[in-house]
Amino acid sequence: MTAKLETSPKADLNRRDFLAATAAVGGAMVVGFHLPPASAQAIAIQGQPWYRDAMVPEINAWLTIAPDDTVTIRVAQTEMGTGVFTSCPMMVAEELQCDWSKVKAEYASPQRNAVEKAPEWTLQIPGGGNPRIRDGGGEPVSARNFTGVYRRLDTNSSGSVRESRYYLQMAGAEARERLLLAAAAMWKVPTAELAAKNSVITHGPSGRRTTYGAIAARAAQIALPDPSQIKIKGPDQFTLIGTEQKNRDVPLKVTGKAIYGIDVDLPGMLYAAVKACPVFGGMVKSYDFNAIKNRPGVHSAVRIEGKGPREDANYGTSGSEYRYAAVAVVADTWWRAKTALDLMPIEWDVGENGQRSTEELFRADFETMKQPGTIVLEEGGSYAAAKSKAAKVVEATYTVPYLAHARMEPGNATAMVTPDRVDVWTGDQSPQFGLLRAADEAGVSPDKVFIHTTFLGGGYGGGGGSDQIRQAVAVAKTLNGRPVKLLWTREEDMRLGEKYRPMGIGRFEAALDADGWPLAISVRTTSDRYDRSLTPAGTYKNMVSEQAVRGLHELPYFVPTLYYDVHTRNSHVPVGFRRSTGSGVNVFYLESFIDELAHAAGKDAYAYRRELIARNTKFRDRDDWLKALDMVAKMSGWATPLPEGWARGIAADDRRRAAPTRSATSLCAQVATVSVSRSGQLRLERVDVVFDEGFSLVNPLSVRKQIEGQIAWALSDAKWQEITIKEGRAVEGNFDQYQIARMADYPPQINIAFLKTNNKWISGVGEEACPQIAPAMAQAIFKITGKRLRSLPFGKQDLSWA
Amino acid sequence: MSISLIVNGSAYTVDVEPETPLLWVLRDSLKLTGTKFGCGIAQCGACTVLIDGQATRSCSIPASAVAGKTITTIEGLSADGTHPVQLAWIEFDVPQCGYCQSGQIMAAVALLKEKPKPTDAEINREMTNICRCGTYPRIRAAIHRAAELQA
Repeated sequence: MTAKLETSPKADLNRRDFLAATAAVGGAMVVGFHLPPASAQAIAIQGQPWYRDAMVPEINAWLTIAPDDTVTIRVAQTEMGTGVFTSCPMMVAEELQCDWSKVKAEYASPQRNAVEKAPEWTLQIPGGGNPRIRDGGGEPVSARNFTGVYRRLDTNSSGSVRESRYYLQMAGAEARERLLLAAAAMWKVPTAELAAKNSVITHGPSGRRTTYGAIAARAAQIALPDPSQIKIKGPDQFTLIGTEQKNRDVPLKVTGKAIYGIDVDLPGMLYAAVKACPVFGGMVKSYDFNAIKNRPGVHSAVRIEGKGPREDANYGTSGSEYRYAAVAVVADTWWRAKTALDLMPIEWDVGENGQRSTEELFRADFETMKQPGTIVLEEGGSYAAAKSKAAKVVEATYTVPYLAHARMEPGNATAMVTPDRVDVWTGDQSPQFGLLRAADEAGVSPDKVFIHTTFLGGGYGGGGGSDQIRQAVAVAKTLNGRPVKLLWTREEDMRLGEKYRPMGIGRFEAALDADGWPLAISVRTTSDRYDRSLTPAGTYKNMVSEQAVRGLHELPYFVPTLYYDVHTRNSHVPVGFRRSTGSGVNVFYLESFIDELAHAAGKDAYAYRRELIARNTKFRDRDDWLKALDMVAKMSGWATPLPEGWARGIAADDRRRAAPTRSATSLCAQVATVSVSRSGQLRLERVDVVFDEGFSLVNPLSVRKQIEGQIAWALSDAKWQEITIKEGRAVEGNFDQYQIARMADYPPQINIAFLKTNNKWISGVGEEACPQIAPAMAQAIFKITGKRLRSLPFGKQDLSWA
Repeated sequence: MSISLIVNGSAYTVDVEPETPLLWVLRDSLKLTGTKFGCGIAQCGACTVLIDGQATRSCSIPASAVAGKTITTIEGLSADGTHPVQLAWIEFDVPQCGYCQSGQIMAAVALLKEKPKPTDAEINREMTNICRCGTYPRIRAAIHRAAELQA
């Protein structure tokens, strides 16, 4: 992306003044600082949470220890609401044996991660990465891609615990062992005679004691003789992991002191508003800066050339790289920049996609669905042969629309480009890839880029990899070292800052025997594809989009003959990861269809599922699924009567993945209780949830909060949300057109219970309770209204009944 | 145009275009960034502040319309995070991403002023701000708790 500049005659801030003024912002900061006693717990995290160079002894890259025993733990995941500023330090502190009340958290440094390699001892995965090994390290999916000191400086895939637990435990253990060595050397005693607990080291025989804070400087100078021997605790030894801990950033977030990207304020900072071509991938033809240059506060207009979409493996797994053509207006306040931009005449060259629509895309996809796709499953002989023996055939076609993340904080980044370095303040789910984007945009090497990660106002898969960092750097390059805060309007964020969840079609057909049990099922799906690489999956290990087939590649239900083929395609509409990803779509299809089969068989939805799972003797997790279904049915009072116009629906999913190396799962079964008035008013009244805790959760309180939130998320998907494309552009741009569940919509009753499967490290908790809601609701709506809802969202359909 | 405002007990004079929304005066002129921008059309409530005690969406009210009125933002709720609503929010560990929570808290403060013991139905009616993380059950519990703390 190149940028051209037109400037109105305004003096730029003197460079020396600026450096003097920013010293306090970018430089080191004293670790201990003072807050009023009433909010003492707020000191766990600073309002400006980004990395600062250590002023106290650093034991390893993950932690420093101050003389007053304060332990500061660096967190490589971005705090966007999933509690990583609490759960990640818990995993380190568990092994460090430090006083949890004196633990602070701050972000790890993306720049340091770019220049410093991961220590060898963090690279060995205990148990080889098999999530079924009790004392192992869980399932690191992408360990080989992350070789910087902080390993996975990325936040996605529900992976904050799954992917990093083992090396965070190792980091705590390595530091503990060095503190013990330092004390042993000081007292000239064997380490075996020492015990470490609550930041105190005690020598049993002599009763001598020292604290972590007192010994930290010595420990910082001592290396372990053989760090490859570091052993981490197994679940039976945990004392902190598995306990409910309140999220340590909460005091900052109830006082307005938590600094998000949008809140960054630097001396001499300018503000930018931006508009990209409303048709994805279009170009800027012309704009007339003269029309607005005399407006108050206006500084300049910057043309940002487009180059997207393209695929580039350098930017991780967050979908394709989009670089849209755009125009920015820079002013002395954001409101002045935004109002001037709104008034500036811009002509777009929308290119060849200016007439595209979702209707057209669906029409083309339905044509494609007439042809066979790539075969995923072909098991138990021919579907046609099985069908010829059927007592009954059931057929259903489901559709889902594009969906936006609509995170609360509109996209933004603050950038400063000087001859020596590039600084960016932003909340990004993937700071390490954000850093590479900034380096690429500025034309500098990655070691010259400093990303200062802020709090992030919601991520859900959409808080990384978007254009805002590139745009901010492109604008900052024109400003002679002055910082600029670039911020999208809600409309810009929803229409051009997004990578939508794919639209899709799923066609299902089943041949049932005389008792209503499936002899055979045939499935065909189509959707946009955003996986960068394909995965060998299913019967012939054909290369397919893992996200497109996720959950349909292996059914929990016993079906003697199975056929499944898949189409994927792309259009000019940007797509990407979004909370619940491929499972959110495929579980809606599958669980809805199983319910149609139960109905055709004249059987109860719970009993029908239970029997199909019980018969599936080859299904590894069969017993856990049966337990989860029984438990959630009992919790919900499944068979007990409800008022007229009320009904229950049941659904389950475990987010099993198609890639052979990805065997971790998180089983979640739900019963949704729904009411529909005769006039068609739909309400989610109650949700009962059974959630798999595997060997151990890290912070069960955080897990509960995640599940509670996912119910609102999935309700919004099911009931209202839809992005439609018209004339090549997204129609919905704000919350009046793209509705989100509010307090009055939230079910009055939620029951959450954990299932102690104790046979695996679960895959995660960031999205695993989402996919069940839509099919469970559809099932209940059918019971009430007799209407079978096969497309999302439900709220746009007539649900009235007599 | 010069506009005089009373924010969190202090008097300020700002020089902005009269139609500039209060939100941007608070955030960019007064550097009170606890009040957030979410939608710009009074839909989401992330920008909720109190104007003469009334919960108001500051993104959609011009600064000139609030000259001389008493404005309270999240920063002015308490000096040290000990307002009963803030304490209840901490007790129930309400926030996730936290971006909407300043607005939620200000809306709750206004509700509790009108209805010291709000029912669930009243909470449903008055608490209309969006939380994309879905913290609603904890917001509800915390409002009931704050009502107890205030009593």
